Amino acid sequence: MNDHLPALLFLLPLFAAIAMPVACLKHREWSRPISLAVLSAMVVVSVLNLNSVIQYGEVRYAFSGWAPPLGIEWVADGLASVVLVALSLLGLLSLIFAGPTSPKDLGGRVVHFYVLILLLIAALTGIAFAGDLFNLFVFLEVGAIASYGLVGVAGGQALFAAFRYLLFGTLGASLYLLGVSYFYAASGTLNMADMAEQLPHLLTSKAVVGGLLFMFIGLGIKMALVPFHVWLPDAYTHAPVSISPILAALVTKVALLGWIRIIYWVLGAKVILYDIPVLLLVGVLGTLAAVIGAVLALMARNIKTMFAYGGISHIGIILIGVTQGNKTGFAGGVFYLLNDAVMQAALFFLAGVAVFQYGIHTVEDAGRIGKQAPWFTGSLIVVALGMIGLPPTGGFFGKWYIILGALEAQNYVAVAAVLLSTLLTLAYFVKLFEAMFRQGPSRPDVPQSALPLACKLSLGVTSVSIVLLGIFSDPIVQWLLNQALPPTL
Amino acid sequence: MADAVFVLFQRPNFLAFVVIFLWGFYIMLTRYNLVKKLVGMYLVQTSVIFFLVSISAKKGATVPVLMTTTDPVRAADYVNPLPHVLTLTAIVVGVATLGVALALCAAIYREYGTLDEEEVLRKLQ
Repeated sequence: MNDHLPALLFLLPLFAAIAMPVACLKHREWSRPISLAVLSAMVVVSVLNLNSVIQYGEVRYAFSGWAPPLGIEWVADGLASVVLVALSLLGLLSLIFAGPTSPKDLGGRVVHFYVLILLLIAALTGIAFAGDLFNLFVFLEVGAIASYGLVGVAGGQALFAAFRYLLFGTLGASLYLLGVSYFYAASGTLNMADMAEQLPHLLTSKAVVGGLLFMFIGLGIKMALVPFHVWLPDAYTHAPVSISPILAALVTKVALLGWIRIIYWVLGAKVILYDIPVLLLVGVLGTLAAVIGAVLALMARNIKTMFAYGGISHIGIILIGVTQGNKTGFAGGVFYLLNDAVMQAALFFLAGVAVFQYGIHTVEDAGRIGKQAPWFTGSLIVVALGMIGLPPTGGFFGKWYIILGALEAQNYVAVAAVLLSTLLTLAYFVKLFEAMFRQGPSRPDVPQSALPLACKLSLGVTSVSIVLLGIFSDPIVQWLLNQALPPTL
Repeated sequence: MADAVFVLFQRPNFLAFVVIFLWGFYIMLTRYNLVKKLVGMYLVQTSVIFFLVSISAKKGATVPVLMTTTDPVRAADYVNPLPHVLTLTAIVVGVATLGVALALCAAIYREYGTLDEEEVLRKLQ
């Protein structure tokens, strides 16, 4: 039974997504309870799956009994299982948050919204578990198509942002597929474990070098790494407030997870192509992303744009962690990835509350929220502490382990980049708080109505998780060091 | 240099792939009409599919249906079927993407009354 949990995790949201248009044809209001039930079941199953992986070791699931490398294989190891728990919990919280906001910003398209969300979650599950390069491509595209639909579902300004996202995303996916076909042409296999055995003999092959480059550019577009990030701020800014939390928290992080899989599980950590260590190259791009993303966030005027750029800079910090080539850095990077997923969800919940409850879009207007918004202000303070990286939040310990890893690798530029990015993060949160608490005569507070319980719940749970991740950072990182490390490290 | 050109012309499928890919990419970059951009995007996708199919071809091989059941199977007699299967999936993915893209185009046209990128951007401001 335990062996089937990964497949069950994927099939739950997939079948719900397929069945929902039929089931909710007459009764639109059923879509929300069904989705909440499916996501709650996913949370339970993902925890069971994590438990079984901890107790009995990783699960290798061969679909319909075709043994790999001929069949399609899924790998539920420690890394994928822990990401899956975060994914289902954040998916559930985003759906809870979308309860009061979605009727307002989606109108009659609520069923579409739930169908697409479930499809997106199914696809992300597939990406996390995929043990096969082509399978990864298929799920990347299923997830991407669902996200294009989600960004554009409400119409208006978001349509054009969704169209741009689609052009960039498809270009990325084509490049990734091209890279996969190069790898296939060189090694004759698509299974990751099998390819990991073939590749060491093929590292001088131009096909492998070119394929790796194309794959990296393709996944770089998907994870919004800095030179390829231009689609993200528009898409996340204009997407309806019910949708941006789940996109921001999960989509780019899971693409990053796919990249971690390829670089560590397929290529092997210490691989050197034509005298260039691959990890160093990716690390440099991460360093650039960490600083440039934070600078752009400081320049942004719209609150959602600011948070979107903040997410781009944090993708860079995670990359710095996982590319140091030592255990501390890797565990720190993965821990920071989990933290960042929670923090991004929390940030976009906050932005959603600002837009939905108080009608505020720009940083200058933030002062109108006034001082009668304890949930908003309190939660913003906790998330800001996490984003800047002050104890006792998880953000601090994530950055701490990343810096320890960089020091161990004697990569002082990366340490400087993390610190600089921290300072810039501090700067843009100070800008936001300054606008909020500035005393001004001509700033009438917006009329206050009670914050819906669902919004309070999602804000509260994310804020508490940020602190809890900090308090329990030591056992989590120890567990990651024991269970979630790649075999080549 | 001459060697490189010679090698390239020995593999006309690579050459065709590069030409179609760059052509599509060029259209995506330079055209303002959103539907033309989609045409470029579809060319890019198709070029990758073409590349995948072309690497499965072998000289003197036939369709991958076993001709006998007794002899040991000689792989050189049959073309590699796997890239075709991958291609089928990639085509389905491409068609789905194109469907979503055309739906977005139609919605943009209803919203802004134009498909010209510059005009849409002007109306957005």
